[in-house]
Amino acid sequence: MASSIFNIGISGLQAAQAGLVTTGHNIANANTPGYTRQEVDFTNATPQATGSGFYGSGVSIVTVRRLYSQFLNTEVLSAGTQSSALDAYYSQIQQLDNIVADPTAGLSPALQDFFTAVQGLATTPNVASSRQALISSAESLKSRFDVIDQRLRDLRDGVNDDIGATATEISNYATQIADLNQRIIVARGASGGQPPNDLMDQRDQLVALLNKDIRATVVTQDDGAYNVFIGSGQPLVAGVLSYSLGTLTDPLDSSKITIGYKTPTGTVQLPEATLTGGKLGGLLSFRSQTLDPAQNALGRVAIALTETFNAQHALGQDLNGQLGGDFFSLGTPRVSGSLKNTGNAIISGTFDPANVAGLTTSDYQLGYDGTNYTLLRLKDGNVRTFATLPQTVDGFTLTVASGTAAAGDSFLIRPTADGAQAFDVLISDPSKVAAAAPIRTAQAAANTGTGKVSAGSVDTAGANLQQPVTITFTSPTTFNVTGTGTGNPTGVAYTAGQDITYNGWTIQVTGAPATGDAFTVGPNTGGTGDNRNALLLASLQTDKTLDGGTTSYQSAYAAFVSDVGTQTRQLQVTSQAQATVLTQATTAQQSQSGVNLDEEAANLIRFQQAYQASGKVLQIASTLFDTLLALGNN
Amino acid sequence: MRIATSTIFDQSVDAMNRQQVQMLKTQQQISANRRVLTPSDDPIASARALEVSQADSINTQYGLNAQTASSRLAQTDQALGSIGDLLQSLRQNAITAGNGSFTAADRATVANDVQSSYDQLMGIANSTDGEGNYLFSGYQVNVKPFVTTATGVQYQGDDGQRLVQISSGRQIGVSESGADIFTRVRASNGTFTVSAPTTNTGSGVYTQGTVTNPAAITGHQYRIAFTVTGTGTSAVTTYDVLDVTAGTTVATAQPYTKDGAIAFDGMSLQVDGDPANGDVVQIDPSTNQDIFKTISNLIAALRAPATDAASTARLQNSLNDAIANLDQGLNNVNAVRAGVGTRERESDDLKATSDSLSVQFKTNLSDLQDLDYAQAVSDLIQQQNSLTAAQKTFLQTAQLSIFNYL
Repeated sequence: MASSIFNIGISGLQAAQAGLVTTGHNIANANTPGYTRQEVDFTNATPQATGSGFYGSGVSIVTVRRLYSQFLNTEVLSAGTQSSALDAYYSQIQQLDNIVADPTAGLSPALQDFFTAVQGLATTPNVASSRQALISSAESLKSRFDVIDQRLRDLRDGVNDDIGATATEISNYATQIADLNQRIIVARGASGGQPPNDLMDQRDQLVALLNKDIRATVVTQDDGAYNVFIGSGQPLVAGVLSYSLGTLTDPLDSSKITIGYKTPTGTVQLPEATLTGGKLGGLLSFRSQTLDPAQNALGRVAIALTETFNAQHALGQDLNGQLGGDFFSLGTPRVSGSLKNTGNAIISGTFDPANVAGLTTSDYQLGYDGTNYTLLRLKDGNVRTFATLPQTVDGFTLTVASGTAAAGDSFLIRPTADGAQAFDVLISDPSKVAAAAPIRTAQAAANTGTGKVSAGSVDTAGANLQQPVTITFTSPTTFNVTGTGTGNPTGVAYTAGQDITYNGWTIQVTGAPATGDAFTVGPNTGGTGDNRNALLLASLQTDKTLDGGTTSYQSAYAAFVSDVGTQTRQLQVTSQAQATVLTQATTAQQSQSGVNLDEEAANLIRFQQAYQASGKVLQIASTLFDTLLALGNN
Repeated sequence: MRIATSTIFDQSVDAMNRQQVQMLKTQQQISANRRVLTPSDDPIASARALEVSQADSINTQYGLNAQTASSRLAQTDQALGSIGDLLQSLRQNAITAGNGSFTAADRATVANDVQSSYDQLMGIANSTDGEGNYLFSGYQVNVKPFVTTATGVQYQGDDGQRLVQISSGRQIGVSESGADIFTRVRASNGTFTVSAPTTNTGSGVYTQGTVTNPAAITGHQYRIAFTVTGTGTSAVTTYDVLDVTAGTTVATAQPYTKDGAIAFDGMSLQVDGDPANGDVVQIDPSTNQDIFKTISNLIAALRAPATDAASTARLQNSLNDAIANLDQGLNNVNAVRAGVGTRERESDDLKATSDSLSVQFKTNLSDLQDLDYAQAVSDLIQQQNSLTAAQKTFLQTAQLSIFNYL
């Protein structure tokens, strides 16, 4: 019996010691990220059977267990990956938010200054300073487009760098997880199946970090190893093996660095849409949902301004008596063929000035199936099919510049992406600003009727635009027209106020002309004080030139600003909400797995007392033994 | 429920972070005096603010344009006023010169007066604005509008009217074509002109005539031919009216009475004095005659000798023509001037409207993006209190630990 008391005492001492060690470990790791508190599982030892019943034989230690909940942990991972995606997105879009509406650096003030200068030109068309002011303000508008476009490009470069760094980080985590898998398998085998808690904590922490970069799903193998999958099921870790991610240039868009999966034969591009969650998911969403549309929206304002301003400028006359040339430079839609294309077709695009209102901020994908071309508008999924090219859609024209497309070839078209970059001022000579109209009308000095001729408007700059044309009334209700390009019609019926259109101009005659009265249309030679074209240029500021004729440049830019603002606002709210979800999940998880120092302090006292008590048991057992020995001495 | 010690620390730090972020935001708003710092603060207001600020800048521009228009119209108005005054004084000159007691020398003095008025008028017609642009040359502001040539004064400008945009829907004309003011002036009564050839020998003086029935006007050329039979007191004067264009006779051997109405085909005129046998009065459809020509004719008439009955009658007829033509010119100038005055008032009105609109836009803009100071400062103080409370309670909570008692 005495020896069993000894044994009981020793088992108690060992148990208390195990408790103290584990409590000490908990206290030591109270602030270790990913640490899960541990507990010692005790059980009462197998009792000794005697005739008088079962005598207990002390305590035995089953295992050291971590207080880990798979469910709560998964909640934290899932909330964390979402939260870090939103944070990454938010921190990027915030930079954009700061750029676009800056009262001094935004586009709006430069646009307003430019049109103020156009108004100045209209008021004093023959004053050199007002012409120079227009060119200077056009230059500053250009530099404002440049600055904003450059900031967008910087953001894009930053995103590309971040994507690369994140891909490296993900690959590193994969290697470390595979390594821990190996060590855990070995440790379990060596300890007869006991869980290596601290190694498992380390591995879970790595999985948590991995989820901050990208959403990853974990499946546990029978041997305790983790298999980790990303995207649409690509294995990142399979037992003791790990795979890595690399970066490659998007085959359709060379300005984009995208994620690839490294295989022995090379790097395979992963579809961006499948890479969600985590910092990487946030960066990719920012690029595709905010940055690309932002650059497109900015480009579209530049292109619309260029096309409409140039078109009107070309209908005017400069100080040298020449028709106006291009005022701003116009780029071309960016078209890139996929690297996987098997055909050798080069598709090129041009803008269609006749349909500025049709331009969208969307990108397009052109596919060829061997017989038909399919044009997909990426923003809304609108699909159009053509048997041949060239085709003109949404304000631009696509042409096969050379070669032939093969079935399965695809092309990415980003019509407005480079608009802001291509924007430039082509006129530097103030006398080349076309403020005047190229024609003017007059009534003969001898006219006796009350007929008046309007100043006339120019519709197209045709070859005969400035040919002198005379309209002579042969009776109060009919007139003859003479002049090159008119076909010299006779006896044309006269209706007061009706449009009379020849050679690209339109005039109206009103009132009651008398027989023999003549009106002339001719070149506006020396018309330096004429501001008709300048007035028309100025009116472009508020003309609804975009979105099917519903939006002015400024409104289009305001809509873009509002879009960015709304998105930022939304992300701010959702990222805050997600942070709260994460906090709650973490609190719940920590309430089970986290270390509470007060609790550990109590445990310290508990096990200390248990140790002291077990020691007392040993002391008594020893005293009992001494009693027996003393019996022999006597 | 148990709480992990780290949760206590993490959440307290989070809460303090959040409050500090809010405080910084409020502080930035106060220092920038703007409620909306970035579009995300209020996406709708920031888009509206862009639109409103454009509307404001356009409105300001229209205001400036209206001012420019007013000042240009005022210049034109002043010039037109001077032209009107000159035409009035010329008319007065013509009336004065008709005084029967005037000698050739008197008329020569008047002619000199008229000549100087002519030169003044030419000066005004070719006047320039502050920028050196001719007022009355249409689009060709650098081209001198009126030059004297062998065939009279020629208009070198054009019919273009310079426009200024003074509101979104209104472009106002700020220049007047010289042709409208000086050149395209209908002669005489505006419908037909009466004239007498220099070969007339009698003392017949005609009036400019009036239209009695516009519907009956044919636009033909007519000739009134006088026939005198007998001599002395038994002389009888009759006249025939011929339609030269149609080659028909309208009336024959009508008895002539001094100052009696001669009426046909919707027209009526009087002839006074004693026409001689074979004298004719010609009637033509009215054409345009520029003011310079009218004045030149007046000068020529004043300088022509008026010694006998026929030449005196010629002088009188010429003076009558001049008075009628000057009246036409004056009417024409007044009509143009009325238009200019109306537009001047319109642009003044629009300037005032633009000023008050500007105040509205500014208010609107301020409502959209400016900060309510009182609110912001009160928010700041509240946030400060919350942060202080969070800090104090954190310290208190963090200090609680059993280890303090072990």
